[in-house]
Amino acid sequence: MTALRIALAQGSIFEETKVALAAAGLSIDALADGGRRLLVPAGDVEYVLCRPSDVPTYVSHGAADIGVTGKDVLMETGTDVLELVDLRYGTCRFVVAAPQDSIDRSLDEYRHLGSLEVATKYPRVAEEHFQRRGVQVELIKLSGSVELAPQVGLSDWIVDLVGTGRTLKENRLAIVEEIATCTARLIANRASYARDRDRIAAIAAALEKWASAR
Amino acid sequence: MNGGASIDPSSGLALPRGFRDILPTEARELHAIERTLMETFARYGYVPLEPPTVEFASSALALDERRMLRFLDRDGRLLALRPDVTTAVARVVAQRYRDATAALRLAYFAPIFREEASMRGSEREYDQAGVELIGDASLRGDAEVIALLAEALAGCGLLGVELDVGHVGFFGGFVAELPDNAREAVASAARAGDLVSAVRLARDAGLSAARVSSLERGLRHRAGDLAAARKDAPAASTRALDQLDELGPLLEAAGVGAAICFDLGFIPALPYYSGIVFQVTAPGLGFPIAAGGRYDGLLARFGADRAATGFGIAVPHLHQAVVAAGWQPQVGAPLLVLAPNKSDAATLSAAAGLRALGVAVAIGDVAEHAGQEVHRAKVVDATHVEYEGATRAIEALAGVLMRTPR
Repeated sequence: MTALRIALAQGSIFEETKVALAAAGLSIDALADGGRRLLVPAGDVEYVLCRPSDVPTYVSHGAADIGVTGKDVLMETGTDVLELVDLRYGTCRFVVAAPQDSIDRSLDEYRHLGSLEVATKYPRVAEEHFQRRGVQVELIKLSGSVELAPQVGLSDWIVDLVGTGRTLKENRLAIVEEIATCTARLIANRASYARDRDRIAAIAAALEKWASAR
Repeated sequence: MNGGASIDPSSGLALPRGFRDILPTEARELHAIERTLMETFARYGYVPLEPPTVEFASSALALDERRMLRFLDRDGRLLALRPDVTTAVARVVAQRYRDATAALRLAYFAPIFREEASMRGSEREYDQAGVELIGDASLRGDAEVIALLAEALAGCGLLGVELDVGHVGFFGGFVAELPDNAREAVASAARAGDLVSAVRLARDAGLSAARVSSLERGLRHRAGDLAAARKDAPAASTRALDQLDELGPLLEAAGVGAAICFDLGFIPALPYYSGIVFQVTAPGLGFPIAAGGRYDGLLARFGADRAATGFGIAVPHLHQAVVAAGWQPQVGAPLLVLAPNKSDAATLSAAAGLRALGVAVAIGDVAEHAGQEVHRAKVVDATHVEYEGATRAIEALAGVLMRTPR
């Protein structure tokens, strides 16, 4: 039997992912050494170590059978994968935020000018959200530190991913509304889920049990 | 300025992303697959339908407009390159076979066009082969198309495939128990593959704990039998399982029993399926080779309310899978490359004589033999050639070449 290939997001959720996999009975010893190998064999599975936002790409093409990444990544990339288990860690929220002292003013401007400028690293999530709301916005794509944009007049509002909300507060931004709460997910390639159901369903059931016991 | 080896679109050598040239070796293999598939379809009584390449963009009901390659013609009408063949089948049925009582069996092999986001490595044009069985609502009809799919794939050299058979009514039975306003959200989350949200929304909408665990068990169920999936399932879901239970012996009788696996977690992404659904996957391939199922009700939207089932085969994926399985196309005689002599008349005459005997002949040399077996000979006169150091009559050479194991 060929090794089941598992794509793992390196980054903030990596440590907890290892804990979850170990609890589900998978061997994670090979992931411990902090080496530079990106394809790590571990018995009857093989780990693909990649950026969180690349996990859905590997899985949707079948280059990996299953993977662990954040719901935030799935929402922004919009790739066609199966979401099997909510792992309940790595919690963060997509929010719309605005400068604390100018929310009223920007809403007033929206009524006058008919459009708001919104800076974000997540244009797909932002666009879908405002379309659903029927709010007209002009999106400005940035690569990082979006909190800066309203302070220097680049945008009226931002759409960003927040953990504790401390960064927002330090930059004198307030949450206007919450778009979604995101946690880590176990995802699977559609064809792999059919072909390798026994192995994947067993891992999914074990992870589900671990996640709901926490 | 254009540097080095990069291709300047204005030079005419570039292709739009997602399109490619199919070179002779692959084209030959694809033709062999096309022939095998269409012959197998014909043995079940399926007759060919050739849809046009262009449709009105508004005609396609089964596909999101953003997935179509659209353009305006000079009349200002919005057209689309054929995104599927279902649209053409529906039109033909509605216009020409509206009042037919007998079943209509249609087969096709045609390129289809899908818009894909850039940088996804996806093709925008690929061949799709398939059949549609119109006007047969029976389980025997479902068994027929599933057996045909298994036989067509085996004919192409894809042996030992597993056929996943599911039923959208299993999941549908749980959805039907939810309040009206929650149904669509749950069903569309499941179709999009987000099983986490589908189950969560169903629970939030009041699905009982027993039902939720029955649903979760079902979504993971893939086995030769269905007994374990029945516990705590709604009546409508149980009826779907009954149908699958009945289908099992029919498939066995049709000769494909061993290849079947019941998969209740298979929920197709397209919304129009109404009953038994199925797909075929192959090891190492991240996309299904073929998928299909019953779609009673879709044709009613085109004004012809007839039961229907069928499948589509993604030919590039099938080709990839059979090549990975070590397949060689079994086509035609070997190619004889014939070196001319001084007399063009003698050369052409010898070539004509050999072709009349069934040998494929190219005069001169070939830059591309497309993976065919190549033999070489030299023209001596109009009826003799030199082959492997000896002069032979063309009849004798034809005898040798045509005996070559293919």
